Amino acid sequence: MFASIASAMVFGAEGFPIQVEVQVSKGLPGFKMVGRPDETTREARDRARAALQSSGVDWPTANITVNLAPSSDRKSGSCLDLALAVGVLVATEVIPAEAVERLAFVAELGLDGSLRPVAGIVPMVGVLDDRDVVVPVRCAVEAEVAALGRVRPVATLGELLDVLVLQAPWPDHDIDDPGELVAPPAEPDLADVHGQPLARQALEIAAAGGHHTLFIGPPGAGKTMLAARLPGLLPRLERTRALEATMVHSAAGAVLPPGGLIQRPPFRAPHHSTSAIALVGGGSHTLRPGEISMAHCGVLFLDELAEFAPSVLDGLRQPLEQRVITVDRAQLHAVLPADFLLVAAMNPCPCGGGPPGNCVCGDAVLHRYARRVSGPLLDRFDLRVNVHRPGVDDLLANEPGEATSVVAGRVEAARELARTRQGGLNSALTAPQLDVVARLDAGAHGHLRNEMEQGRLSGRGYHRVRRVARTIGDLRGDESDTVAEHDVVLALRFRATLAAALRAGRAA
Amino acid sequence: MIPPSAYVAALAGFERMTSSRLDGLLAGRDPREAWEVAVGRARAPEPIRALFARDPDLAAAWRRDAERRPPAETWRRCLDAGVTVVVAGDQAYPPQLLDDPRRPPALFVRGDLAVLDARRVGIVGTRNATQRGRQTAAEFGWELAAAGVVVVSGLARGIDGAAHRGALAVDGSTPVAVVGNGPDVPYPKQHAELWNAVASRGALISEWPPGTSPDAFRFPLRNRILAALVEVLVVVESRERGGSLITAREAAERGVEVLAVPGSVQSRSSIGTNRLLCDGAAPVTEVADVLVALGLDGRRAGRSRFDARRRPHPDDRAVVDACRERARTLEELAACSARSLTDLALAVARLEHDGWLRETAGWFEAIDQWADLA
Repeated sequence: MFASIASAMVFGAEGFPIQVEVQVSKGLPGFKMVGRPDETTREARDRARAALQSSGVDWPTANITVNLAPSSDRKSGSCLDLALAVGVLVATEVIPAEAVERLAFVAELGLDGSLRPVAGIVPMVGVLDDRDVVVPVRCAVEAEVAALGRVRPVATLGELLDVLVLQAPWPDHDIDDPGELVAPPAEPDLADVHGQPLARQALEIAAAGGHHTLFIGPPGAGKTMLAARLPGLLPRLERTRALEATMVHSAAGAVLPPGGLIQRPPFRAPHHSTSAIALVGGGSHTLRPGEISMAHCGVLFLDELAEFAPSVLDGLRQPLEQRVITVDRAQLHAVLPADFLLVAAMNPCPCGGGPPGNCVCGDAVLHRYARRVSGPLLDRFDLRVNVHRPGVDDLLANEPGEATSVVAGRVEAARELARTRQGGLNSALTAPQLDVVARLDAGAHGHLRNEMEQGRLSGRGYHRVRRVARTIGDLRGDESDTVAEHDVVLALRFRATLAAALRAGRAA
Repeated sequence: MIPPSAYVAALAGFERMTSSRLDGLLAGRDPREAWEVAVGRARAPEPIRALFARDPDLAAAWRRDAERRPPAETWRRCLDAGVTVVVAGDQAYPPQLLDDPRRPPALFVRGDLAVLDARRVGIVGTRNATQRGRQTAAEFGWELAAAGVVVVSGLARGIDGAAHRGALAVDGSTPVAVVGNGPDVPYPKQHAELWNAVASRGALISEWPPGTSPDAFRFPLRNRILAALVEVLVVVESRERGGSLITAREAAERGVEVLAVPGSVQSRSSIGTNRLLCDGAAPVTEVADVLVALGLDGRRAGRSRFDARRRPHPDDRAVVDACRERARTLEELAACSARSLTDLALAVARLEHDGWLRETAGWFEAIDQWADLA
């Protein structure tokens, strides 16, 4: 008397198919679960027993062995509860084996027999092939996003038994979209930003070229306001990217937007007290995706960059380089997606700076401040923008700035241009590629040469400026392989440095 | 065998040694004897016994210092660093300091104190100076040096450094620096070259022996020496509180004329100088004002350096003028000129290249021909 029930589990942002094998034999009554379950999974027995009894079915008085295959991986979480309960009933021949052959079960059980939602429905459903999948009613919308077979929303174990034992039709539930219960966060519009033409231009370039951006400016200059408007400039996610983003958010148990599929680039703004684990992802048994992965396909905004613990910021370097994050622990190896656009904001110095001569910071204070953000991390920002407090006239001006929709149109066109030219974003252009797609005209060459001779432009900075200049050209609709002088001089304006570096006269 | 001044040098480096304590120790006593009194090897006279009784830690600290740095070693360090020890009463001791109520009993000098025989003007100001302030300091330093006046300053970052650089740019000038730490320890480090240039051309003076670290409390003390050495003191830029205001007060107490460079009421680095003007300091707008204050012919000024910069394009002149008024951001320039950002970015790139503008943290300031020295 044996049953094998299909279910799934989530680890990191990936789903893994699990077979819940149940064997019921005569002998002393007992229950054994093997296949490396953790505490939560082991407790499935008690939940399943109570739920069955609440649904009017007796727990068999027999020796029950449960194996969670593949047996060598650690299992975690309560998503196997329903599969266990169904497995016991199939093994004791309450449910005919044929009835569950083409089904998979993903739900937690309540003691009253209700099906409770679990996190990670999207990645789990995605690995169940074309089986029909039984999920709690609350997860139905989420399951539809990735399901290849049919989604069978069920409210209670009793309902399910009616279908499987009495061959009743599948219950027809009103599906509430949980995403509609919470108001979707309004994407703020760029029209709200008065003045700040240079910073607005930087946002447009960042969106068009996928350039990581650092805003440096005094408090009250509008750095946070600007950053929050970046996701609105990015194009809608295409199907595969949308699914990737949705999987991460589902695995983290976040509320998904109406319809279940994340189609707008996500915007994550973790507070500067965030721990390294919360940013990178982790946990002892399950691997919960961190903020970096939640920003996959979207924008990660780190306000007050210098207030983050340096060890936390160092955790950013690998994902910025490889666009995925590899987590390795003693018992745990996982790869989480982490392809995000990084936007950060910080003050030029602890006192906030301002016009020349305004800073009251001593050298030691400045250096301590500058040390908080490592050079290799600063190097990753193609765009470093000095943001100034807007003038009184700008703040009082009645006419709104250019709206997000207008700018987003130009961004989309520039991205298309880059895609047809090199198949990717300009931020990913390597030095040899730059030599092909971003040649310099005579004027541009002269400016860059002069900057380098004056010691104001480093070798790395040279490539950064060319990448940014290429994007500025793309935004103008320039299809040539040469960047013009005025593109380069504008790109040169996006090389803000910290006050400490200024005093030391370092090149950027 | 070490000379008597070695004992004075060693005493000057003791912990919490002040000029009055050192004077008290040296009063009517051979320096060697004074040293033995200080370190407790000889019976101390009444005032010093009272001092030790009030402050037993001091006696212990001095004994410790005596062991750590015996006079022979201080003397060797002076010789190694090329530092001359000049004790009050020596032939070489500056006469301007001799009658000073808080005169330093010993001076540690690199260079030649004889340069102080010429006319002397002090140029001081804030370390966090604006570009304009540093240019003014460099210009005054250059023009005064060109008029044969000795420029005295403190070799600090900002105004002081610019004044020294300006003075050193004149062939044969002999600038003087009064510093607040050991004369062999360039501080700030970026000014190491400047220190050596001043020491080799003019004189570098300190009240502290070689190896003394730049502690915050030493700088206000050095200001009194600077104030006592000059005939006229020019404060170029100063914040509401700052070392240069201390120098100005010390100068006023000694009857030295204090001049101040007026600045914008909105500029933080001109608050102190503007307040000096309110309090009765005379304004300086050009070097002739300083020369007149010295009693020299103001017409000797104006032997300006040739301005070799390429004239800005007529369209760009408005940009330079706007930035001359005060520091501007690119956004502000765009707002007041109806030119596009790209066009302005080109303009400022040209102007920066030709030496008319300088950018700091997104702010553009107009610079003049003194910028290379500021």
